[in-house]
Amino acid sequence: MQLRYVYSELGQGLRRNLSMHLAVVLTLFVSLTLVGMGVLFQQQATKAAEQWGNQLQITVFLCRNGDSNPVCPSSVTDAQKTEIEQVVQDNPEVADYHFESSETALDKAKELYGEELFSGDNPAITAEDMPQTIWITLDDPEQFEGITSAVKGLDGVSRVQDMRKVIAPILGALSMLQWVALVTASVLVLAALLLVANTIRLAAFARRKEIGIMRLVGASTLYIALPFLLEALVTAVIGVLLAGGALAAVQQFGIEGRGDDTLKFIPWIGWDEFWLAAAAVGILGPLLTLLPTLVLTRKYLKV
Amino acid sequence: MIRFEKVTKAYAGHPHPALDNISVDVEKGEFVFLVGSSGSGKSTFLRLVLREYRPTSGRVYVAGKEINRLASWKVPRLRRDIGTVFQDFRLLPNKTVTENVAFALQVIGKSRKEIKDLVPETLELVGLSGKGDRMPDELSGGEQQRVAVARAFVNRPMILIADEPTGNLDPTTSVGIMKLLDRINRTGTTVVMATHDSGIVDQMRKRVIELENGHVVRDQAQGVYGHQA
Repeated sequence: MQLRYVYSELGQGLRRNLSMHLAVVLTLFVSLTLVGMGVLFQQQATKAAEQWGNQLQITVFLCRNGDSNPVCPSSVTDAQKTEIEQVVQDNPEVADYHFESSETALDKAKELYGEELFSGDNPAITAEDMPQTIWITLDDPEQFEGITSAVKGLDGVSRVQDMRKVIAPILGALSMLQWVALVTASVLVLAALLLVANTIRLAAFARRKEIGIMRLVGASTLYIALPFLLEALVTAVIGVLLAGGALAAVQQFGIEGRGDDTLKFIPWIGWDEFWLAAAAVGILGPLLTLLPTLVLTRKYLKV
Repeated sequence: MIRFEKVTKAYAGHPHPALDNISVDVEKGEFVFLVGSSGSGKSTFLRLVLREYRPTSGRVYVAGKEINRLASWKVPRLRRDIGTVFQDFRLLPNKTVTENVAFALQVIGKSRKEIKDLVPETLELVGLSGKGDRMPDELSGGEQQRVAVARAFVNRPMILIADEPTGNLDPTTSVGIMKLLDRINRTGTTVVMATHDSGIVDQMRKRVIELENGHVVRDQAQGVYGHQA
């Protein structure tokens, strides 16, 4: 196939409809960035939930040495632990539970705050300082009161925490951000689709003479549609690159570069999650321009 | 080369069919005038040959293919065997004469070498050698129509369809175009020409098919435009 015509048409088409193509690129850029942000927020929410347990969980903190709670004269004994476990096991609302030792709690803390705080000759915090915990998953998270009251008065229990109270606002915010991003993105995606459709209509109109002659002399449909498809691909690639750049900037300056700020207790997403978002954007972008182009060129360039 | 078997073509929303049960046979190498008033069905006839439409009933064969059953993706291949010339020339205004003719070959994937050989040869045949670098608006109407004929013929089609090719031209220029079509016909190309130009039809003495309200009312070898007494 002789592609000289196709390339010259591609260049001409991009120049001729420059403002429309810019509109498509910008809309794609913003909508794809928002889609990517949605993916990042979702990843962030998952990561946070992994760290703190999911929203169905309540955590029972057991007494430790030097516990600030007056009901804890000393560290929880093995007999007390067995009794508490029995109560938890017998409660019909409990779906699942597991113990977490002081060492595990310390490891989690290390992961969040860095090793420095916990190492050396005189570490600020040791395993001794971390309470042992029981993580309980409920069948119905609304039914937390039964198990809470059952466990609360037992010897060796310092306090019971419904994790939803701690995490719910954070997960809620993340989930809201995710939805705001995705809803805005889908509105913009619709705008992008309409813009692509309009651009094709204009381009087909501008080329109607050439197209008419090509049909008459027997150019194949693919050959006629190729400049349109390539134009769509070029705008998609530019849109994807811009969106990828914006997401990388968010990752680099918003998350990686956040420094030692106050939000350090949250486990943050890394470049792995960024690449996932970039892949989503990279697949969605070309689809958004190529699919309407394929459909519409079939309509406008009908043989 | 072209065969219509009991062909009817009706358009949606029109009470009378544009073509009503017509049967016509055009042999290879024939020169045929299609005459009749506006709305008699001439354009529909040509569009069926080009497979722009399918017939409502009956069968149309073009260059050995039954176009009713021709898949859409095979239509471009059929059209490479048919050259088309229109009343309004339909040249690309931003391309030179040579580029206009070459365009027809480029878009069907002919090699640069073939284009380099065929285009000057065809321009010479239509009497435009030396004018290859001109733009269409620098040419007279007759010359523009010659470019259109060159573009239609450059791929050496088996059939040349001309829809009122002299409609926009003065009589002297028209004669030149007719001589050109006659020359192309002599190379073995089947020519079907729809026209209102009685002078030309009378002069050429070729086969005449007259349509009226979608019916063939006359099919005459070496005919003239009007009814003969």
